[in-house]
Amino acid sequence: MADFTAEVFQNEFLPDGGTDVHAIVRVTSTGASAGASGAGAVGLADPGSAAEVILIDTSGSMGRRGVAAAGEAAKAALAEIVDGTLFSIVSGNGTAQIIYPYSHQGALVPMSSHTRGEANRAIEGLRANGGTAMGTWLTLARQIFETVPHVTKRHAILLTDGVNEGETPASLQAAVRSCVGAFQCDCRGVGDQWRVDEVRGIASALLGTVDLIPAPEEMAAEFRSMMRASMSRGIASSELRVWVPQGAELLFVKQVSPTLEDLTSRRTAVNPLTGAYPTGAWSDESRDYHVAVRLPARTLGQEQLAARVQFSLGGDPVAQALVKAKWSNDDSLTTRIDPAVAAYTGQAELATVIQEGLAAKAAGQDDVATSKLGRAVQLAGMTGNDEMTSRLRKVVDIDDADTGTVRLKKGASKIDEMSLDTASTKTSRVRR
Amino acid sequence: MTDTPTTGSPQPEATAPATQAPSRTCRACGTANPAESSFCEACGADLVVLNAPAFPGGTAGDLAGGAAADGTAVSDGTLLASATPQTAPAGEESPLDVGWTGAVPSAVVPPAPADDDLLCRVCGQGHIVDGYCDQCGSPPPDPRDHFAEAPAAWVGGVCDIGRRHARNEDAMSLSATEAPGSRAVLVVCDGVSMATDSHIASLAAAKAARSVLDQPFPKGVGTPDAWAAAAGRALTVAVASANEAVAECVHEDVPNPPSCTIAAAVVEDDVVVAGNVGDSRVYWLPDASEQPALQLGRDDSFAQEQMVAGVPRVEAENGPHAHSITRWLGKDAPDDLTPHLTTLQATPGWLMVCSDGLWNYCSEAEDLRTLLREAAARLQQSGAHESGAHESGAHESGAHESGADESAAHKSGAGDPATRAINASTAAGTTATPTPTALAQALVDFANEQGGRDNITVALARLAGRGSTTSEATAAAAPMEGDPIDG
Ligand SMILES: [Zn+2]
Ligand SMILES: [Zn+2]
Repeated sequence: MADFTAEVFQNEFLPDGGTDVHAIVRVTSTGASAGASGAGAVGLADPGSAAEVILIDTSGSMGRRGVAAAGEAAKAALAEIVDGTLFSIVSGNGTAQIIYPYSHQGALVPMSSHTRGEANRAIEGLRANGGTAMGTWLTLARQIFETVPHVTKRHAILLTDGVNEGETPASLQAAVRSCVGAFQCDCRGVGDQWRVDEVRGIASALLGTVDLIPAPEEMAAEFRSMMRASMSRGIASSELRVWVPQGAELLFVKQVSPTLEDLTSRRTAVNPLTGAYPTGAWSDESRDYHVAVRLPARTLGQEQLAARVQFSLGGDPVAQALVKAKWSNDDSLTTRIDPAVAAYTGQAELATVIQEGLAAKAAGQDDVATSKLGRAVQLAGMTGNDEMTSRLRKVVDIDDADTGTVRLKKGASKIDEMSLDTASTKTSRVRR
Repeated sequence: MTDTPTTGSPQPEATAPATQAPSRTCRACGTANPAESSFCEACGADLVVLNAPAFPGGTAGDLAGGAAADGTAVSDGTLLASATPQTAPAGEESPLDVGWTGAVPSAVVPPAPADDDLLCRVCGQGHIVDGYCDQCGSPPPDPRDHFAEAPAAWVGGVCDIGRRHARNEDAMSLSATEAPGSRAVLVVCDGVSMATDSHIASLAAAKAARSVLDQPFPKGVGTPDAWAAAAGRALTVAVASANEAVAECVHEDVPNPPSCTIAAAVVEDDVVVAGNVGDSRVYWLPDASEQPALQLGRDDSFAQEQMVAGVPRVEAENGPHAHSITRWLGKDAPDDLTPHLTTLQATPGWLMVCSDGLWNYCSEAEDLRTLLREAAARLQQSGAHESGAHESGAHESGAHESGADESAAHKSGAGDPATRAINASTAAGTTATPTPTALAQALVDFANEQGGRDNITVALARLAGRGSTTSEATAAAAPMEGDPIDG
């Protein structure tokens, strides 16, 4: 049986007249891994309650070498899928087609040595041809999942190498929206011809990850690890519920670890005071959320609950953290910023300035780009984020990290910029 | 709350005039709203619901559930005793407007109905689900925020957080024997705000003093002078004991060690001895208008020094540093802690011990007597109204002396103070008479209506002037005024 805990990191003391409460809530699961689920495990002891769809870009730009590498990657993923799990493989270009299972078998088949062999042979037949219309791929994936409404855990892997051009951005948006809540989707871009923001938009909406695969040969390893991670998730779906008192304003709810994800707009109302934010499938892991609440100030010495943050499965809360507010005139208490709140606030700003800096650079606004990326260098230095500093170093020449004085690097490679972009939302966990 | 000179700054609150534009203070967020407001302008809370008498803050009895009704100690050590209901013997009823008809059941707080135990007392809408309200997020009130004691039917008091302070640093400790006028101890302490843990210190002081004063005074040669000397010694010992209790509250050297005032009164066979250090007060408020209402003893305060120097009371008590006290109990207390002592032979009347949370809004003894009379009259009126509704039932059962049954029936009603007061007053029978606790609550309500800027404590003992019950009030022994022991 999976166990969940919720811890809160915050400074509950507010100065006289203070209104804003910030807290980091860490949700940790144990026994949620599918592999670890023995007797009494919930749900996914039965692999038939999970379905996987692999979406492979077969547009002309992939070329013979790209499609061959994508095929090998798909095979590596298939090797990780546990027998009994339903699966399907889709080839996508300007349209989308199921290449396996064969049409007389339906949209999904249970994994077995037999079906895995058939799927591997079907993959051999993939050819590069046509454009890229990811909306059609996602729509087909949704239709595939809809054939098995009883299946609770639904996951897809989307691979692309280029810009969405076979359809309007609006039609891609509409397709993504129609898939929200229908399945989760991890997205990978190979090479340097795809757009990070476009693919990030898909992954973010569908509760998945986004990353860059620099060269086709690296796809197989990436697909293997992605599918392994998906197989390990023993909890099909979950949500974070946030209650704030009457008269309070919930400023934002963000996932801040392992990746940055603003959940604020994903709220569905549970009741007038409580909103639910989908958090997808879980393995044995730990995720941190930043909750910010604005309260009407109370008198000095008063205490109030600022938020109840619950982690819930199937509508049942399984863990709860209480975010509190206490008004005090003791400056030594009220001026302290919780280290976790400070660190994640810094990392969120770092991600924002990196993305804005790169966008400005792409738009030819070198002044803005220099200033934003300079701030990024400064923040990375302040927070001791060496990995980000070394990624930034490939894009800018650093004159003075402390003041954030940088110059845009001449001849920085597109792939380095893209890898900086995709890495920007990965945060380093704050230790308690 | 009281300042010491060591804390320096004067209380800006204290200088505000007692008469303000009427306002409705939100119990959820503390904002003062116009009197006619239905909803708080700041937080939107329903003021009609919030400020209804059902939500003046919890009482110890409510939170202790059924235990309190049995007279057992509740969590903070407060003892709520229930008295045996009785009606006044014929001839002992007082004709006066603050009259007394003898012992009536004490206003023991009935346990709240089980399904209402978790109702939030701040917003009145949500319930306490995990230590906090599921609507407004407030924690349940500390039992210390509001508690009542009624050790005997003729002695009772209320200690209340007021409306502006986050913590109740006032403390009260009462004891009494059953027979009216026989023996009672009333102690009120007011913790100095801004000192560390003053709320703990004040309660420790009040309890320590009471336990000393609970011991009967040695009879000596049996003369009034001998009694007064013994009583004075006991009060001095009680103050010293309270002082030690305050000092023991701190284990290490803190920059602001806790400190508090003390005002205590002991009744022994209708003779009163009173003493105080600081600015908590003992008043004697006789029924007979021709007898003067008196403050027994005097304040140790900057305002008192001003008055001695000739500044009029109103000016002195509202001037800068008015609330700075010149003597207090605690680790940094002055060497001389001899209380200002007064003895008094009681006539029918009320003995009151209170903190400045009350007298801030009504300082002159004569004004306080008027306030008390008006409050008693109001309670009597609502009590008479209430008892009328129950009259026929009582007559049918032919049980005029069945006060116990009747009061039990009444007590099963709502637990708000107003209802408690009415219930308690009707319990005596058709003659409505407020209990000391109901009257104390009415005075606390008055102070809260004036703004409740400080913690408020009011303890009362009803004295009948033993041996004079059949005489006119004027024929009773006159009080021995002044400070015969203190000098
Ligand atoms: Zn309010
Ligand atoms: Zn509430």
